Amino acid sequence: MLDIFEKPEPKTHDDPITSDPREFASRVNAWMPHDLMLTDAWFPLAHSFAVDKKPVRRAVYSQPFFLWRDANGNVIAAETHPNDMLAATKSEYTDADGRYPVIEKYGYIWGWLGNPDNAAPEHIPSIPYLPEGGGLPRHMLGTVRFDCCAPLSLENLIDLTHADFIHADVVGDEKMDSEKVEVFHDSETITMVRTCVNKSVAPIMKVFGGVRDDVQQVRQVIRIYLRSHAAIAYGRFSPGDNVQLFHPCVPETRDRTRLDYAMNTSNVKKTNPFRYIMPKASYKVSRQDSSMTSPQSPRYMRPEKRKDLHSPLDEAGQKYRVLMLALAERQANGDYAYRDNVSADCSDVIGYDAK
Amino acid sequence: MTEAVWWAVARSEEVSADKPLNVDLGDQPIVLWRNANGVVRALEDRCPHRRAPLSLGCILGSGAIQCGYHGWTYDGETGRLINIPNLKGERKYPPVYKAKPFGVHESGGFVRICTDVKAPPPADDGDALPMSGTATVALQHEQYVDALFDDPSLLISIKGVRFSPYLFAELTEQEGQLMLERSCQWASPHWPAPFSSEFPLSLRIASDAVTGETDLTLLDDEFNLLLHATLAPVPAARGVTQVRWRAVLSPERSGLQSKILGFGTPLKVHENIDGAALRVLKPSASIHASDLREKIAARSAPQDEVA
Repeated sequence: MLDIFEKPEPKTHDDPITSDPREFASRVNAWMPHDLMLTDAWFPLAHSFAVDKKPVRRAVYSQPFFLWRDANGNVIAAETHPNDMLAATKSEYTDADGRYPVIEKYGYIWGWLGNPDNAAPEHIPSIPYLPEGGGLPRHMLGTVRFDCCAPLSLENLIDLTHADFIHADVVGDEKMDSEKVEVFHDSETITMVRTCVNKSVAPIMKVFGGVRDDVQQVRQVIRIYLRSHAAIAYGRFSPGDNVQLFHPCVPETRDRTRLDYAMNTSNVKKTNPFRYIMPKASYKVSRQDSSMTSPQSPRYMRPEKRKDLHSPLDEAGQKYRVLMLALAERQANGDYAYRDNVSADCSDVIGYDAK
Repeated sequence: MTEAVWWAVARSEEVSADKPLNVDLGDQPIVLWRNANGVVRALEDRCPHRRAPLSLGCILGSGAIQCGYHGWTYDGETGRLINIPNLKGERKYPPVYKAKPFGVHESGGFVRICTDVKAPPPADDGDALPMSGTATVALQHEQYVDALFDDPSLLISIKGVRFSPYLFAELTEQEGQLMLERSCQWASPHWPAPFSSEFPLSLRIASDAVTGETDLTLLDDEFNLLLHATLAPVPAARGVTQVRWRAVLSPERSGLQSKILGFGTPLKVHENIDGAALRVLKPSASIHASDLREKIAARSAPQDEVA
């Protein structure tokens, strides 16, 4: 926000999603996700419960973060371990004491990677269904990893037709009457809304969630905060309980992704086993994803003459690519400003009803 | 590499209609499967949608292969995209929507593929030899074939047979094949090879100059066939060589040692190679191999240009 005052920008910016189909296609096919490194962003580095007096180590693009709490319980994020007497280098991402900007919100420790002067609380993404002060029970939280680069993991997530094939035994297969995909974006986010009519019931809801019907109406929303590599995955199922997942994909290195997830199932009755089982499904689902994204990942490391083929269902994934490339291009030109507010409540955008 | 080269990338029994099989030709991953009629199909093991391996998908009742990631479905013969299940209703896809197909030919218990889908099929091999196996060896393809010429004992064992360092016939080129004949002894106690005037066995090695696909023929000193085998080394990913082999023992073998060949496994193709022995293996027969390969290549080059 400060940037706007320091560097006056024109009021309107060209939408990176160009209306020229050829230009759009050429941007989509210039996708080299391993080359992307976006900075000036908050990354959800750890669940709050995971950080105590003893430093824990995290990384974003191999840049080390050591997290611990001082005597007052405040979190410190440092570039070097306090016991590391030999550390000689200090990056541009930390202050004179080697400390990163850090914030605790939504039950996560968020570390800022970028110019410390630009760190501002309003760049923390909005996650409507996570309590701002944290405090979700531990059984709703967990850590899984993807053996691939983070943008591929998010591209995987935003095209939910993949779930019908690789997660069919958890969330149901491709059998349904109709499917509609809508995509919305600004310069910092992309949101995909998938509406399925009479879709085969998710087995996990049938087995553990008490859903007796054979089909259900499904509305799934994926909203990605591009810089933070973090996604909201919100599903409404009728019959069935809503699924409220926060799905960050922290790029620990360019080819490995860390996901400290929060699956808030407090909307599900305490007597319903789905409340306790659904968060654990991540352990199975993440390996299923990795089975595809892991072999995919090296195939995106080098320039490739052949273009990927696309279907109309890939609109969200294609736009995700273009938006990420546009941000990277802007950063390469020295423009790190947020043109859109990621912390504004997005309940309406994702169709979240707190009731 | 000449286009119309056929590589034995699988044994027939490895390819099924139940589960796709991933193989490589160098750094090129390939998926193999059978359709409902048992015909083998070969496509590049890479969905052109999001580059996921098609071998992680499934074979449909129609004989088409479906990617396990988003369900894109391909015709095995042409590689053409025939369905995206989540796009409901009939759709026609432009011809560019295809996975790269390979020429496929199955005979003699081997599945061979060619990068040129229109290449004329190779000659039939006849019946499949009954014994078979696949060995994956951490050695580059040309090194593997050269070692086979210089000291086969590093790569294979024939029960009760010792390969000597001496040749009955030097490596020569005959109709595109590199051939030599190595003197062998039975492994029982005997006068050491350097001091033996006679050798009771010979091993003929006839190897395709490009693929290294090799016929092994073990004969006794009366020219009776004891063992016939085909070794098909194929370059795989990361410089590894995958060797598919088939073999048959001659049913009529005279002499105790020849008969012992029939107990257990007469031919073993080693997975692990003694690196220390390989390192000090002096190139002998193989020195001529590269010259002969160049000669064959030079001879076939003008023909390719005409073609």
